[in-house]
Amino acid sequence: MNPELRRALAEALLALADDEMILAHRDSEWSGHAPILEEDIAFANIALDEMGHAQLWYRLVAELRDKDPERLPDRLVFRRPASAFRNVRLVELPKGDWAFTIVRQHLFDSIELARLARLAQVGHAPLAQTAAKILNEERYHDRHTRAWMRRLAQGTDESRARIRSALDLAWPKTAQLFLPIPGEERLLEAGVWVGGATLAGAWYAAESGFLGELGLDIEPLPAESEGRDVHTEHLEALLTEMQSVARLEPEAAW
Amino acid sequence: MTDTQWPRYEVFVQERPGRPHQHAGSVHAPDDEIALQNARDVFVRRPECISLWVAPAAAITGVTAQELAERGAAPEAQADGDDHAFEVFAKVEQRGTLIHIGQVAASSAAVALAASRRLADANGALVLWVVPSGRVTRSDEADVAPMFAPASTKAYRDQAFYHVQTALQRMRRSRQP
Amino acid sequence: MTDDGRLAEFEARLARGEKIEPGDWMPDEYRRQLIRMISQHAHSEVVGMLPEGGWITRAPNLRRKLVLLAKVQDEGGHGQYLYHAAETLGVTREEMLEALLAGKAKYSSIFNYPAQSWADIGVIGWFVDGAAILNQTMLARCSYGPYARAMLRICAEESFHHKQGIEICLTLAQGTPAQRAMLQDAVDRWWWPTLMMFGPHDSDSPNSPALMRWGIKTRSNDELRQEFVDQTVPQAQAMGVRLPDPELRFDAATGHWRFGEIDWDEFWRVVGGDGPCNRERLEARRQAHDDGRWVREALAAYAARP
Repeated sequence: MNPELRRALAEALLALADDEMILAHRDSEWSGHAPILEEDIAFANIALDEMGHAQLWYRLVAELRDKDPERLPDRLVFRRPASAFRNVRLVELPKGDWAFTIVRQHLFDSIELARLARLAQVGHAPLAQTAAKILNEERYHDRHTRAWMRRLAQGTDESRARIRSALDLAWPKTAQLFLPIPGEERLLEAGVWVGGATLAGAWYAAESGFLGELGLDIEPLPAESEGRDVHTEHLEALLTEMQSVARLEPEAAW
Repeated sequence: MTDTQWPRYEVFVQERPGRPHQHAGSVHAPDDEIALQNARDVFVRRPECISLWVAPAAAITGVTAQELAERGAAPEAQADGDDHAFEVFAKVEQRGTLIHIGQVAASSAAVALAASRRLADANGALVLWVVPSGRVTRSDEADVAPMFAPASTKAYRDQAFYHVQTALQRMRRSRQP
Repeated sequence: MTDDGRLAEFEARLARGEKIEPGDWMPDEYRRQLIRMISQHAHSEVVGMLPEGGWITRAPNLRRKLVLLAKVQDEGGHGQYLYHAAETLGVTREEMLEALLAGKAKYSSIFNYPAQSWADIGVIGWFVDGAAILNQTMLARCSYGPYARAMLRICAEESFHHKQGIEICLTLAQGTPAQRAMLQDAVDRWWWPTLMMFGPHDSDSPNSPALMRWGIKTRSNDELRQEFVDQTVPQAQAMGVRLPDPELRFDAATGHWRFGEIDWDEFWRVVGGDGPCNRERLEARRQAHDDGRWVREALAAYAARP
């Protein structure tokens, strides 16, 4: 793989890694506070899976950049400022109430599932293998969040109303997940990526069908223009907390 | 509505092919699908598991050998209506847990229990449970990869992931003059 | 059979090493003691998620973050196994939670202390889980089947909790001056509360005799406490960490580490509800419980649809 292609692929995978990492961090905030003990345990599993996925992607980024895969991930997560992160804005929003957490997780997981299913087929073996491994765990997340969406959307008036509010907040932000990433054309030509544009139509059709069954109407995905280098104020606050201990002694082992 | 922790479901785990399902504990869940998922999340955080069963605690009828001895021999339960299948679990070792020993056909739980005692007497059952097969929710073959394989990717849950003994020894030696 | 006859047969079963299962005859006092003990144990695990859970968002690298989240998840799981064991004795989870949230149920006092720094996370694993393992190993042999089985499962999972704590402390002990100071400060605050975890001297413990007689407790509080000290002092020495007890010294005659007297005033104060974080802990659990009510109701409503 030529150097330009490696650089472009590393950037693309960094975006996937940052998505998983920030979402995992938000998910982990529920530990000890979930609505019932069994779901506390279940949701911690989802967070652990997501963090594991982030680690896998960060290691691939390190290999593509000829850096140490045992050291670069920590530097990327614990030393970069908010402006250098490439996650979508959907995942940095605060965890909200349980309805928002479930809606966000469901939307993110179902889009990721669609993307991973394609990435598991690309020509670059390390990428395809990592995608396949992650896909396996994502299938379970999808089963879990769909079951919860179904039950909260059709449970009580209160749960229905909360799901509606959560969807109103999260839905517009899913559009960003389908935007092309910088350098995408080169990657598509080389057959090592799947563009958001390819996924959007099929995903929207399936998702509006699923949500429709639950009595939830959605608008078409809005046009989104701001890229992954633009963040809300929430990311800065998140990172200030997440990096606070590491930054006490930035060069030390912890 | 009074607050609820949801009903209990008993959980049975099959670790390897050829081994019987074993009782692992219970989970609280509002329905069968969530019960199966909760059972996976609570009881399959570490390998091994190839099959998971859950059944509402309320659907299980059980008796202990001590209870039977206490009460004297129970009267033979009357057959009553059509037979359907019951799964039978027995605890056969003092330090063991309930394991799946087979199925009986019976028209009621009481009849099933009586029939199971004959099945289990060869094993010397200390505890017997019967539950209608129709009330048992089971994981699928197709579930093995997404539901159970991920437990193996979390090596950090295994104490062998941490090498503290050697590190402590090394530090101790470095402190010696 | 008379109650005396039943009691004699019950105790004969225990003497034969038999396990008591749900449905078996048992003395009311045995049932009562077990419900108290197991539910307290369950509450301890769940409340214990809070001091460490608060540091997941600040864990300083990916390994530490994954491991801490897995540990706290395990603690939830352990609470779950223990609630199950208590439920087999006829108490419901709703009843147990109501008692906890109303401040009527006890849980291990150690969790009423705050986790003030990252080093506290290491020391909690090293001290608190180290102590818990000794207690749990003993309970895995207890006479009540469901409790013994829950403890076996917990013991198998707990050893990584202890080791990850030691691993954190080892890293800090070999780190910068600020890291070593952070570790020493945490040790200074957690040592005595950990020794208090083992409970009062057996002579001052009202529940011990019944528990010993019926095979629930097979080793005394003081025995377990001594074992913990003997196992931990050499580890502290290896790390170059000072334990905050001027009376600590090795007794070659007995092969044990002799240590100073616990501040029993503090012990009883914290047990009685006046520890640094008692109110905070219960408030956090109440909040989670109240915030989650609409969720539990929604899923119950969905399941009840015709």
